[in-house]
Amino acid sequence: MRTNVGTGDKGITSLLSGERVPKTHVRVEACGDLDELASVLGALASSLPVAPADAAAGVKGEIAAIQEELLRLGAWVAATAGSPAAAALRPPAEEPVRRLEQATQRCEQEAPPQQGFLLPGGSLAASWAHVARSVCRRAERRVAAVPSPETLPFLNRLSTYLYALARWLNHQEGITETVWKP
Amino acid sequence: MPYRSTRTVSSFRVRVLRSRRLAGDVFEVELERPDGFRFRAGQSITVHVGGAARDYSLCNAESADTLLLLARRIAGGVASPLLCDSAPGAIFDISGPNGMFTIALSDLPAVLTANGVGIAPFLSWLRSRAPGPAAPVTLLHGVRRAEDLLFADELRAGCRQYVPCVSREKADGCHYGRVTDWSRDKLSPAGHDFYLCGSRQMTRDMILLVDERFPGSRVHTEIFF
Repeated sequence: MRTNVGTGDKGITSLLSGERVPKTHVRVEACGDLDELASVLGALASSLPVAPADAAAGVKGEIAAIQEELLRLGAWVAATAGSPAAAALRPPAEEPVRRLEQATQRCEQEAPPQQGFLLPGGSLAASWAHVARSVCRRAERRVAAVPSPETLPFLNRLSTYLYALARWLNHQEGITETVWKP
Repeated sequence: MPYRSTRTVSSFRVRVLRSRRLAGDVFEVELERPDGFRFRAGQSITVHVGGAARDYSLCNAESADTLLLLARRIAGGVASPLLCDSAPGAIFDISGPNGMFTIALSDLPAVLTANGVGIAPFLSWLRSRAPGPAAPVTLLHGVRRAEDLLFADELRAGCRQYVPCVSREKADGCHYGRVTDWSRDKLSPAGHDFYLCGSRQMTRDMILLVDERFPGSRVHTEIFF
């Protein structure tokens, strides 16, 4: 079991592949944003409406699976390419990306057509979905700074899914979206 | 198809084959190996007792017919007294394998550092190697008293350099002091692959030493409580 032993007090930490690096290292930054994204998704899951029960359970299951995938991506990003640690990891797969696309399509089919640029907000759950979407975009930018292109498709699709999910949640709760009027 | 978790946890119910005391409060416990259970040297299993769960590193070869673990019997502990005092045939629920503490030799010199029962994953790794010359590693094993050195002959034969470190008494053929003392005095101040398995204190002290004295090193840790 790995756990904190208080060796990071001087701003240095270990990558999964063992290198000692400053906490401002691009891989550490990327892992931090993936961690933040997983946490925000937890808040989103906790704010989901309880009804209809089937729909809420379905979305909670999706979010839990996404959180697990984010942990896998975090491990991948935390290991230097070509290191023994990276070799022991399973590279990011295409299947989670495909499943995100399917989930996005389902949300889009059940929500009304979009009429213009939307102001992020609506129900509490939809608002958390928008927060998660924007954190996801930041995580994507951070991960893009790491030589790890295998992780980017999932994050790119995830932000699209979270946008569609926000709209679906507002639709489920009967909340009218606010269209931005420039 | 809905988006579903792909995570799987393997749980098994196994029998104890034997338990024997090796030294002091350290026991070796051998369990049945469930069909299909695969592990890599350095990984651990979780033993479930009541609502509690405790991790133990496996110390036998990846290809062995049984599961062998080292456990320190902690008086008043939740799991270790039951495990260490168990009779053949006792049943435990386990899950695993867990962890990523696996050794992969690289271009950096490897330094395997353990204290107490933290030697288990290194034993597993040595026992899993194909027969041949000694592993090109330095292995440090820190204990308080010489009688606590486990498998010394096997470790000495299996590693290019084996350094038993005894901190509370002088003993023939052993470094008198901690693994950190030996590392500071004897290792060249260059990059190494440090594998650390043991107490929180030892792990912390070694990492701080690495930051201070061994630039370009990598650190891989597994902590026992």
